[in-house]
Amino acid sequence: MGKVTGEEAETVEDGQIIELYWNRDQQAVRETDGKYGKLLHSIAWNLLHSREDSEECVNDTYLRAWEAIPPARPGAFRTWLGQITRNLSLDRWKSRRAEKRCGGAEVLLGELEDCLPAPAGRARTVEDGELAELLSAFLRGLSREGRVMFLRRYWYGESVAEVADFLGCGEGKVKSSLFRSRKALREYLEKEGIAV
Amino acid sequence: MRAERLFRVLGLVDPALVEEAAKVQGRRKPWTRWAAMAACLALVISLGWLVTGGFRGYGMSGGAASGSSGNDGGAPGDSSGAGASGGAEGGRSFMSYAGPVMPLATAEDPAGLTAERTVAWDFAPGAYPDGEPRQWGAEVTDAYLLHNGTEEDIAVTALYPFTGSLSDLAAVRPRAAVDGEAVETRLYAGPYAGGFQSTYGADIPDTMNLAPPDGWAAYKALLESGEYLEKALGEYPVLDIPAVAYEFSDFAAPHGEHRAATQAVSFDLDPEKTAVLTYGFNGCEWDGTFRRYSYFVPDGVRRESELKLLIVLGEDIGNYTLQGYQDGGCEAGEEIEGVSCTVRRSETTLDAVLDRLCRYYAEERYARERGEGAFDAIPFPLYRGAVAELLAQYGSLSGTPMDRYGDGRLDDMLQEAAFQDRVLYLAFPVSVPAGGSAEVTCALWKEPSYDFACSGSGNGDLQGYDLAARLGSGLAFTRQSAILENWENVEITGQNFGFDPENGVNAVELSLEQEHYYLEIRPRGQ
Repeated sequence: MGKVTGEEAETVEDGQIIELYWNRDQQAVRETDGKYGKLLHSIAWNLLHSREDSEECVNDTYLRAWEAIPPARPGAFRTWLGQITRNLSLDRWKSRRAEKRCGGAEVLLGELEDCLPAPAGRARTVEDGELAELLSAFLRGLSREGRVMFLRRYWYGESVAEVADFLGCGEGKVKSSLFRSRKALREYLEKEGIAV
Repeated sequence: MRAERLFRVLGLVDPALVEEAAKVQGRRKPWTRWAAMAACLALVISLGWLVTGGFRGYGMSGGAASGSSGNDGGAPGDSSGAGASGGAEGGRSFMSYAGPVMPLATAEDPAGLTAERTVAWDFAPGAYPDGEPRQWGAEVTDAYLLHNGTEEDIAVTALYPFTGSLSDLAAVRPRAAVDGEAVETRLYAGPYAGGFQSTYGADIPDTMNLAPPDGWAAYKALLESGEYLEKALGEYPVLDIPAVAYEFSDFAAPHGEHRAATQAVSFDLDPEKTAVLTYGFNGCEWDGTFRRYSYFVPDGVRRESELKLLIVLGEDIGNYTLQGYQDGGCEAGEEIEGVSCTVRRSETTLDAVLDRLCRYYAEERYARERGEGAFDAIPFPLYRGAVAELLAQYGSLSGTPMDRYGDGRLDDMLQEAAFQDRVLYLAFPVSVPAGGSAEVTCALWKEPSYDFACSGSGNGDLQGYDLAARLGSGLAFTRQSAILENWENVEITGQNFGFDPENGVNAVELSLEQEHYYLEIRPRGQ
């Protein structure tokens, strides 16, 4: 359902697709959809649990890509697209929530609250880029399995069952790992004196 | 919102890590989910006999086995893509479809009566709770002049249909008047008007997703046979089924040490003989005959329900084991001491359990989510009936349960019964004297169809309104007309009425042959 795969149809190199965008060739969108559409749909679905909303968010992702390239020339194209879909889906989820039609994002955000450091007077606020660096450093410090579980849950938005299925382990193991990682992230941010 | 920022910034972490997470795969093992689902299906079939007494037939006919809504037309459940408010007759597709304004009907055969109808849309800006006067929706006055051409008085029960959810009632319930005098009305609610759909169409045939009515055609399919109205006016399912309720209370756990301390209850059952429903539980594991249900031990801080019930239908579960865990994973090796509760077993009926849970939801949970007194506009019997209806029609008591409700978690059904789209009916008496007439007026605030503001569709500022001319009504219409009021506040961007207010045409005669009219507007100066 919301499974994320790293096995897209590797037909066209990312660089070639980006060139199509630079040439204002609408084939760029078709190639993007062919190669990454499934992934992007999965991400949007995981947050929204609505087929129509997911399709809209993925289409909007293509529109954003069309508007951004040129001048952008994203290095990690797949991840770059995924970031756009995540943000659009979160925006959509907020709009939907106002209409009382919630999706999966509510649960995800609820879990992420566990990671938030307790407010402290000496904590400093950092820019998104610096915070992302700190998060990357934290993730590198986790076991590989713990890191994969964390990112599949909170980056790709997969359910615990889907993460467990992907990794061939029990849901309980995933839940425990996520719980420990969330707790560790909170302690890490508190130790670094970072306010979120 | 801090968690939201964290989620967004997580999107910016090193792409190499994100790629790694997509590609590193563990050793796959056969997963038991589908086996569990199959077992669940076998169970509900074996329990089918339980709900036949007093049951009014939803989902029990042979034709209702698909994932569609339970209306014979099935259109709401079809995976026909985005909403099509206009359908083949024109009009824009909106992401949120509000449903048409529908015509007055009668419970009895209206033979001898003819009707002239005038529908007025007033686009005067309303006053909203945030204090900002802005144009959102329209005040609709749907007026009828009923003529009695016979030599005898005719008394009928008028039925005025309108779309919305139970939770919308405070805003959308119409006011009815007969000959200028406000009348008391009785409210009826039809079943969930939509269907269920798979995540990605026919490739993965699950029914996890709600598919609300997405356009005029969906309501046409729902209402034109008259069966939906019969259901709305009929009795709700009687679920006088023997049940054993296990209630968990007096919670204790070492919260200081374990923030997610979890209480699990595990037991074995024969899936052919026993079904389990839950309320207030967070976790569920199935493995053959083994079941484990778990909840985070209430700590007075989380917003989770403190009412926790495990309801057993069919053969009782017998011995069970209670065990505390560090967290909801309930992993071996993570057992903890100090988690305790009191379990009270009582023999009851499913109806009695639902009575209690619906009261609890209405008085505690709904108020907490929507504010004190928020439930006051919802007639409790309608809500209670809608929950029973959902459970019987689509839940684990149904012969064709939807995946969405297949796990027996009543929390979802209690919430969604309040928020699902349906057609509701105001009922009130009307007497039309021999050779005379009666004037019936229904006034309501009508929410528009619209696109979500963040969708990037470019139509976020448009509002759509549909009119059903004859759908579901047996009245013999001799004239229909439509009027725009306070039209200066809006720009018409699409329609098939024939309005041209700038040139003095703000009232039009409608064809008696045409079923569907649409109007799309954009507020001026917003």
